[in-house]
Amino acid sequence: MKSREEEYREIFMAEALEYYDAMSRHISELEKDPADEKALHELFRLMHNLKANARAMGFNDIGEVAHRMETIFGLIRSKERTFSGSLVSVLFTGVDTLGGMIRAVDQDEEVANADKLLHNLDLLVEGEEPILEEDEGNADEDASRKLELSDLVYIQIKKLDHLLNLVGELIIDRDRILTLSQEIGNPALQAAASHLFRIADDLQYSVMDARLVNVGSLFNKFPRVVRDVAVAERKEVELTINGQDIQIDRNILQIITDALLHLVRNAIGHGLETPEERVRAGKPEQGSLILSAQTERDDVLIQVIDDGKGINVDQVRRKAVERGLVSAEAARNLDPSAVRAFLFEPGFSMAKEVTDISGRGVGLDVVKLAIDSLGGQLRVDSVLGQGTTFTLVLPTSIAVKGALLFELEERSYAIPLMHTDSVVSLQPKQLNVVGGILMARLLGENIPVVDLRKLLHDGDDALIPAIKTELVGRQDIIIVNYNNRKLGLIVDRFLRQQDIVIKPMSKPLDMIDLFGGVTLLGSGQVCLVIDVPALTRLFLAKRP
Amino acid sequence: MKNRILIVDDSFYMRTMLKNMLTDAGYEVVGEAANGQQALEMASATRPDLITLDVILPDNTGLDVLKGIRLEQPDVKVVMCSAVGQEVIVNEALESGATAYIVKPFSEEKVLEIVGGALQNQDSDSSEA
Repeated sequence: MKSREEEYREIFMAEALEYYDAMSRHISELEKDPADEKALHELFRLMHNLKANARAMGFNDIGEVAHRMETIFGLIRSKERTFSGSLVSVLFTGVDTLGGMIRAVDQDEEVANADKLLHNLDLLVEGEEPILEEDEGNADEDASRKLELSDLVYIQIKKLDHLLNLVGELIIDRDRILTLSQEIGNPALQAAASHLFRIADDLQYSVMDARLVNVGSLFNKFPRVVRDVAVAERKEVELTINGQDIQIDRNILQIITDALLHLVRNAIGHGLETPEERVRAGKPEQGSLILSAQTERDDVLIQVIDDGKGINVDQVRRKAVERGLVSAEAARNLDPSAVRAFLFEPGFSMAKEVTDISGRGVGLDVVKLAIDSLGGQLRVDSVLGQGTTFTLVLPTSIAVKGALLFELEERSYAIPLMHTDSVVSLQPKQLNVVGGILMARLLGENIPVVDLRKLLHDGDDALIPAIKTELVGRQDIIIVNYNNRKLGLIVDRFLRQQDIVIKPMSKPLDMIDLFGGVTLLGSGQVCLVIDVPALTRLFLAKRP
Repeated sequence: MKNRILIVDDSFYMRTMLKNMLTDAGYEVVGEAANGQQALEMASATRPDLITLDVILPDNTGLDVLKGIRLEQPDVKVVMCSAVGQEVIVNEALESGATAYIVKPFSEEKVLEIVGGALQNQDSDSSEA
């Protein structure tokens, strides 16, 4: 795991080497033209920065040399010294020495003793003549001087975004070429196409890899947050962080930052009880909060787990009925996970009083939106009296998504694997009609099933109640999962599983919010990508 | 509302450290400028509550930036960041309207104390400390 200290060290090194290169350049410019004020100012500024940074890192030897160099460049600026004579060679030696010191620190070697240089610099500051050795500024030394560049490159995330988009385009054309080569059947073309396939694959993963950062770079900010929130809420909290070294796309981490902050504040503010309440409930005074990351298949799971009072499902049920989100009768039949899903409805807040820390009008719906925008999932599990767990299921990368391809009325569609639970083929007798809705019983769970064709085509009207006799033969059903709600979609035929690059839809198709975008298949065929959250909402709105 | 801070420093290392310290403490860092021109543009675009301003910058000196910002935003708090040896500039900055100063290399406690103190003046009539 990369700690903050290591991160600081890397940045310090990269910048120090850059400063050294710039110093070498500017001191040569100044040698050519001692009146070059710009070069002089730059030298002064670079020494100043190197001094401050080195001291902050505890590299005091570098700090001492840079400090004196800065002072002398300052004296030259204020015309108290001139850049001439023995001063020039001492300053050149100074720049070289700094370069050597920076390299030594970089390679964990001992920094060479610079006492002689320091003494000479002190003499110059005092206005006295430095003691030069015979070979000072000698050509031998110039020849042995190594040119070194930093191993670390800083790159704007914008540039990586662009690179990733290009790779996305490349992958689409690669798949097209591969399909064409198979159709044409020329062996040489096929060999070249499959080579292209492998290389493009490598390229895609390399670009994705370059964008990965440790989850720890976000998690490490939380001890401080937790401490402050705990103090403000008068809670005692022990924070445990797991899985800091799990890697995830930097933009995904950026997008979930506020969501995670909200969940953590919520857990402390609403989840965990006060020490007195905890003791009365027979729990340790100190509440436990766990931030954890782990990988599951291609996804990253981030969890916020507290051992607080848990979510009171009956209260949520009442509130949902009060808010008119569901009828009292329907609410009674909803299982606890479906009830908890109401917590993610816009403006749904269980907070009785708005405290300073949480409940500032930002609800879980905002967290949910952020996760949705990434094509991820947010789940909540809770046991009353024992605690609550929020789980964020996130893609590792934003560019390429695993998807399930299926056919409906001779067209191809894709559903992101992130939202697919399972795929089943059921005989009509395995389906029942309850209240006009087809229900499948799978692994002890009753799951509503709908003919996707009807859902997509039947306009804004409510669905016509399903009749079992409509079903003929085996039904291919994709079980999708959104917001703890499962829904079965009857399709014509499963095709295959494939990585797809989702592109935004162009007008006027972007008006249809049931589709999250399009992807091009190897055959060149356009394939619509189903937006599972939107489809689930449509089903809830249209159910008979 | 979180107090919003703009960081002006030509060293990426310094900016990173300051940004970490300030965001950890619950401030919102609204921008990072690496030179005087950027500083003036970002100050005017982001309207921060406080600016940490390095005294030595590549194009302008920190003092010119301070004066530029003061012309446009008389109320923004400006904390000068300097190293030992710049006492003269710091004095001039304080005379030109800087709120406070931090001497590099700084400790987290010191930064938070000075930034918090500078903002306190502003918030003395509101409930937020």
